[in-house]
Amino acid sequence: MFSGLDWSILWRPPFGGQLRDAILLTTEIAFYAWVGALVIGLAVGIAREAPAAPVRALATAHVELFRNIPVLVQLFFVYYVLPRLLPPAERHALFELGWEMWSAVLTLALYSSAKIAEHVRAGLNAVGGGIRMAARSTGLSWGQTQRFVVLPLLLRVIAPSLTSEFVTIFKGSSLAMMVGVPETAYVTQQLGTETFHWVEANTLGTGVYLVCAWLIAGLMSVIERRTRVPGLIGRAARG
Amino acid sequence: MSVLSTLAALLVPLVRINLIMTLTAVAIALPVSCLVAAARLSRWRAVHAPVTAYVNVLRSSPLVMIMFWAYTIGPMVTGHPNSAYVSALVALAAFEIAYFAEIVRAGLQSVPIGQLDAALASGLDSRQAMLLVLLPQALRRMLPSLLTQSLIAFQDSTIASVISVPDVMQMTNVINAREQDPVLLYAMLAGLFFVICYTLSQTIRRLESRTRQRMALA
Repeated sequence: MFSGLDWSILWRPPFGGQLRDAILLTTEIAFYAWVGALVIGLAVGIAREAPAAPVRALATAHVELFRNIPVLVQLFFVYYVLPRLLPPAERHALFELGWEMWSAVLTLALYSSAKIAEHVRAGLNAVGGGIRMAARSTGLSWGQTQRFVVLPLLLRVIAPSLTSEFVTIFKGSSLAMMVGVPETAYVTQQLGTETFHWVEANTLGTGVYLVCAWLIAGLMSVIERRTRVPGLIGRAARG
Repeated sequence: MSVLSTLAALLVPLVRINLIMTLTAVAIALPVSCLVAAARLSRWRAVHAPVTAYVNVLRSSPLVMIMFWAYTIGPMVTGHPNSAYVSALVALAAFEIAYFAEIVRAGLQSVPIGQLDAALASGLDSRQAMLLVLLPQALRRMLPSLLTQSLIAFQDSTIASVISVPDVMQMTNVINAREQDPVLLYAMLAGLFFVICYTLSQTIRRLESRTRQRMALA
């Protein structure tokens, strides 16, 4: 059944080099998407508690919109529909820049930002209104309160949920294969299709995501331990 | 294509493939995940170690790769050619078992330990205590999480298109290849999912706050 396994196909030319590039591309997509998701997610999460009602409504709309559409559907929407909003010359330039990859980065960032925004809201509850009111009463503006008091505490409180989102983004980057990005899932399937070495191809593909997920979890648990806010972690996890 | 005929062309695979596949996968995953969760809480290493490994591996892998495993390795294992639909269903069920099992485990652990002591003291054996006392209470607590996860499974069912299952995602791509009207098609697909998932997630949220109120009263 599984006779004729040839693991060396994974590092021999021509696939060895392609697979190495693919793994680097996966890491790159996941990293950019995570940074984007973090920035957008923090902004949207804090905006959901903003004093101005229209800002709150927009932030809520953002969360509901990106949470309630499958990420693959979002990817195709971003990939096919957004470039149509541009004039033909700019659209061409967009594809020259590698729109396949960047559409995946943008989609993953937006999709995960909605979930991070929800964690941020739970984190804000954990940090508590008292601290914010105290900060405001010392004369800090709303923005300064967020920047100097809420954000530093918040990041430490939501660190565990950011880890799981990073792992989710890593796994999600495999969807980029659907728009033709030669990342890990794409190249391993190409290897399987061309050589019929499916066991080797799938093992490598899955292994890359597993190892990355476990590395991220390990690294982040060190960061979480170092930055833990005494007495607050438990509350955020339950919130 | 008119808007209405496009809508019909999308609704048919959405119900016939995505909805049916999700409901079947959830129906398989729910009982199995209860067993997996109970096994994870077992005292014996030989029982809890393999199921813990299963849950961790499945939760750390992308669904895309699980779909590929089922589709390409399935025939080697069974010796029969398998359909893309069955492969996708098996992959989705296997994937959701891991996620459901974590929810069930958290639910079981949220039931106060005194309940177990009381059940055992009243003369129930540990199997009866699990089935008649712990599980019913845990299920009520975790129902909102299970429903939310099922809704995610419904969204994830679009990933079946990677192995060419003619689901709503795949059909949208096929129709787009013919009609070259991506703006209408993908906007409609996104809108369709949004209406369904938003309505359901709001319903789950109401259910959740009602459950919480009742438990606060109890």
